[in-house]
Amino acid sequence: MDYLVVFLVLVVFLQTRVTDLKRAVICLASQSVIIAIACFVIGFSHGNDIHAIMPGVLTLIVKVIFIPGAVYRLVNKLKNEREIVSASNVNYSTMAAALFLVMGYALVERLMPGSVGRDIVAASILMIMTGLSLMVLRKRAIIQICGLITLENGIYLLGLLMTEGLPLVVELGVFLDVLIAVVVLVILTSRMRLSFMTTDTSVMKKLKG
Amino acid sequence: MNLDIRELIYIILALPLVFSAISAVNFLGKNVLHWLNRLVATGVGAAIVMLLMTFDANIPFAGQYIYLDALSMWMLMIIGTLYFAFAWTSKAYLDRDTNKRYGYLRRFGYLEGRFYALSHIFVWIMMLVVLVNNLGLMWVTIEATTLVSALLVAFKFTRTSLEATWKYVMVCTVGICLALLGTIIVYYIQLSAMGSDNPLNWLYMVEHSKNIDPVMAKFAFCFLFVGYGTKIGLAPMHAWLPDAHSEAPALTSGLLSGSLCICAIYVLIRNIVILMPSIGIDFISGLCLFFGIFTIAVAVPFVVVQRDIKRMLAYSSMENFGLMVAGLGLFVPIAAQAMLLHMFNHALVKYSLFYTAGTIMEEYGTKNMMRIHGMMVQVPRTACFLLLSIVAILGMPPFGVFFSKFYMIYGFFTAEHPWLGVITLILLAGMLIGILYHILRMMGGQSKKKSSGELFGVIDSLTIAGLLIFSGIASAGLSEITVLNRLLEAAAKIVLGGVA
Repeated sequence: MDYLVVFLVLVVFLQTRVTDLKRAVICLASQSVIIAIACFVIGFSHGNDIHAIMPGVLTLIVKVIFIPGAVYRLVNKLKNEREIVSASNVNYSTMAAALFLVMGYALVERLMPGSVGRDIVAASILMIMTGLSLMVLRKRAIIQICGLITLENGIYLLGLLMTEGLPLVVELGVFLDVLIAVVVLVILTSRMRLSFMTTDTSVMKKLKG
Repeated sequence: MNLDIRELIYIILALPLVFSAISAVNFLGKNVLHWLNRLVATGVGAAIVMLLMTFDANIPFAGQYIYLDALSMWMLMIIGTLYFAFAWTSKAYLDRDTNKRYGYLRRFGYLEGRFYALSHIFVWIMMLVVLVNNLGLMWVTIEATTLVSALLVAFKFTRTSLEATWKYVMVCTVGICLALLGTIIVYYIQLSAMGSDNPLNWLYMVEHSKNIDPVMAKFAFCFLFVGYGTKIGLAPMHAWLPDAHSEAPALTSGLLSGSLCICAIYVLIRNIVILMPSIGIDFISGLCLFFGIFTIAVAVPFVVVQRDIKRMLAYSSMENFGLMVAGLGLFVPIAAQAMLLHMFNHALVKYSLFYTAGTIMEEYGTKNMMRIHGMMVQVPRTACFLLLSIVAILGMPPFGVFFSKFYMIYGFFTAEHPWLGVITLILLAGMLIGILYHILRMMGGQSKKKSSGELFGVIDSLTIAGLLIFSGIASAGLSEITVLNRLLEAAAKIVLGGVA
């Protein structure tokens, strides 16, 4: 489990550094792979029934194969578009992630000193906050989608640790929702490419007040 | 025909689903589609009325996944009324929108089927929100409403609607994710306090809510409040609300404002009922009152400087949601009843307002209120409906909103928050001045821009008038209509934590 946390933190930091969209999607997929492995580890430590396997399998299908696949297909279509990339935002988001890691550990020390899943809680706080900062600081639509999934993964990991996952029906519903959310966002992004010729969300600033 | 509650619920949940499947395939002719749409919604409306008659407000119905008590019945009634109104106004709206001469959808007449499919699915999911018995499933359905309605908001795929939808999905999904975190914490509380039976089942949790850990409960409540508060449109998290409401097609705006946001309030209420005994009323009440009144205060200045008519209505919705949340935070019977009544009145009146605003946009070809004048002369029927609905939403006497707002203010004074009551009254007066100023300017004067003539037809005029009259009669004669009165009292009791 410790190795998983280390890899997870590494991948999340990598996610904040990446500006190339394809690499960002691959980062997202590998992050979800780690979550899926964590699901299996926690699931099998509690029994062998369907509820032990289900979350891991669902994570593999939905978050490792389907979501990155859909986003990757979209990225392939975005060949020659107007680029507005600023390097400073990348550095800001990495720095923010570092801050969040420290904050996560400080929070865990304060709230539940010496508990078993300390590292996992800190990692999931890191993921939640980093996901948020990716959505706020970065302007590319694809990166924002990655941020959203990172946020969701973080919450999911925290839930996995606290309650060994939600009841089965709810779990299925949550996965369905994430799936639909990504489908909707992919539709929106491709429409955005058609009408704005770019997927940079900073061009959308007409609605105010 | 004698149908029991279970069968009626199945009918209510089956009909819209079947219809949206049919209209998504899109093989029916347009007229058949319109009439089938009306038939389905009327059928669902009739089923809801029958349910209202057979259902005893004090005896909840519990199935494996379905739970129906007075509160959900009340919400179902609101959603059903709007669904009915939607079906009987949609033909007029779509005919205009697909008009060869000026309609937005003139090149996409075939999209009507898709619009119907999405709208009916949207209403269907909202009905699910109020019918499921499980806090987790409530979360799932609320998130699903966001996603389905996002496709509706972006239906015309113009630049501004894309911007609004992007913001809507991003802000609401983040908020709802925080609510998921809150739900997970609630589940954790349940596991540690009452074991793993009936996971997240609302009724079971309410019956065992005495032995909840207060610190964790407070923690959960904060996340739930922020999460569902985003969806309600409370002040610091409201950024998506005016955009989504103003850019959506008018019918969708009406449904969003009238029923979606109050579904989020409903889920928040369900969570509060569970957490209230351990957290204590003071904490919840303080948060609700502060954010409710803050929301009203934020909405007022934006209304005054607004130029876009639908954005103005969206800010007016924010004011009303703020008032509802503040009423929820008072925790006195009269305010709880007033809040529920206000949900009902606001939904009906705001739907007619958004529909009228959509008509005005078609008539004048602009959303800018500064360029619309002389409505009284050029489009008398539209002007009349606009004026009546505006007067209704501002809370003038003959209409329903007057009663609910009045009871709410009365609630402030009985709950010993007189100063908050005074502040709310001042803010509401500001709202009234701001909105009336804009609307009266549109009524009179000489228009530089010629309208394309009266577009209000017969059926939609009757529907809108029906909505206004229904809300007025139902609230004024509430004590005489036994069914509604008993239902409202029982629902208010559930809001205050007394489960029948």
